[in-house]
Amino acid sequence: MDYLTVNVVTPNGIVYDHHARIVVARAIDGEIGILPKHAPIITPLAIDEVKVKRSDADTHVDWIAVNGGVMEVRDNLVSIIADSAERERDIDVTRAERAKMRAERRIEEAKHVENVDELKRATVALHRAINRINVSKHL
Amino acid sequence: MGASLIDIKKKIASTKKTSQITSAMQMVSGSKLNKSEETAKKFQEYAKKVRAITTHLVASQLETIDEAETLNGFETSLIEEHGLHSMLVKRPVKKTGYIVITADKGLAGGYNSAVIKQTLTMLQNDHKSQDEYVLATIGGTDTDFFKGRGMNIAYELRGLSDQPTFNEVRKIVNAATQMYSNGVYDELYVCYNHHVNSLSSQFRVEKMLPISDLDPSEAKSYEEEYILEPSEDQILDILLPQYAESLIYGAIIDAKTAEHAARMTAMKSATDNAHNIIDDLTISYNRARQTAITEEITEIVGGAAALD
Repeated sequence: MDYLTVNVVTPNGIVYDHHARIVVARAIDGEIGILPKHAPIITPLAIDEVKVKRSDADTHVDWIAVNGGVMEVRDNLVSIIADSAERERDIDVTRAERAKMRAERRIEEAKHVENVDELKRATVALHRAINRINVSKHL
Repeated sequence: MGASLIDIKKKIASTKKTSQITSAMQMVSGSKLNKSEETAKKFQEYAKKVRAITTHLVASQLETIDEAETLNGFETSLIEEHGLHSMLVKRPVKKTGYIVITADKGLAGGYNSAVIKQTLTMLQNDHKSQDEYVLATIGGTDTDFFKGRGMNIAYELRGLSDQPTFNEVRKIVNAATQMYSNGVYDELYVCYNHHVNSLSSQFRVEKMLPISDLDPSEAKSYEEEYILEPSEDQILDILLPQYAESLIYGAIIDAKTAEHAARMTAMKSATDNAHNIIDDLTISYNRARQTAITEEITEIVGGAAALD
């Protein structure tokens, strides 16, 4: 049986490296599922979760929170490069909750002084935090 | 013999304490250096991957640029003509951006002064006036130095931790790539000390933008066409800044590693010097003690002779 090799790499090292039967990710224009023998593709990812069904067990599913980045598929090798990414078991939930609260406060402040750039950045930060909290709930 | 025995003894004790401190600092820097080298290794994996994907994606564009450049130098119209990305194409340089990386603290031997001195010489040689360049500084030493000379600093970052994470420097690398896209400058260089090994480092000025170090021949061997979702331009808009950011982050990690190495060697030579001083002082202490004893004996002998 064919299988995929999934690599998730961040500036802080390799976060995930396993064989898989299917990978489901959310690209910026919609969800995309990758099966073995997929045609070569490059697509940017949204701040969302990546779902990996492992090849070594039928029911084993891994979740990875990715903070944007780009996915490349070629020759059954799925490479995801992102600023940061975390597996569900590595996520520090209290830190994520704190980050969420901080982002919400920043959004309020930015709205107050009508700083559009800051509002955008804070919204992205909030997305990231919520994404990590969601992914950690899969555990 | 000028100094008294007690004075020499005090001096020895204080030098010994200094040497203990410096040797402790040497060990701290040594372990930080190990950690930094590890971080750099992990980062290499990422850099390699980003580079590979970018090369696959822009191989065709790079060829067009190569052809055009051999024909007529550089041409801004390339961007419109071939739909090339602005981060790949050279444009006439009106202003140059420099990111200068030094440490926040001293006690690192010639680490800071090497970067500052060579950056300054380079700036003076390459530019006629201060309007031709903008600086962004990482670390306190260079920030204070360039500020003191009244140079315009567009961005400063202090208090970088010993093992900087990507999150810490995200702001400055984002700002740097954005300023390039907005046309604040037309070229971006990073000036820093490259870590060669724990004994030596080397001053380096690396061109980060426009992206010029990609080699299209690396991707040639692959025939199959990529599916590009949603479009090549949109992917490039995300991927190229990410690539540039990874290059800058790589330079920062490299500089940090060099800093730890420089601090370690500086502290090692400080410890060695302290030990040499202690050795010298011990000799003069023994001599002084011997002189005192001899003197006392002579006095006793003299006194005894006087009694006879």
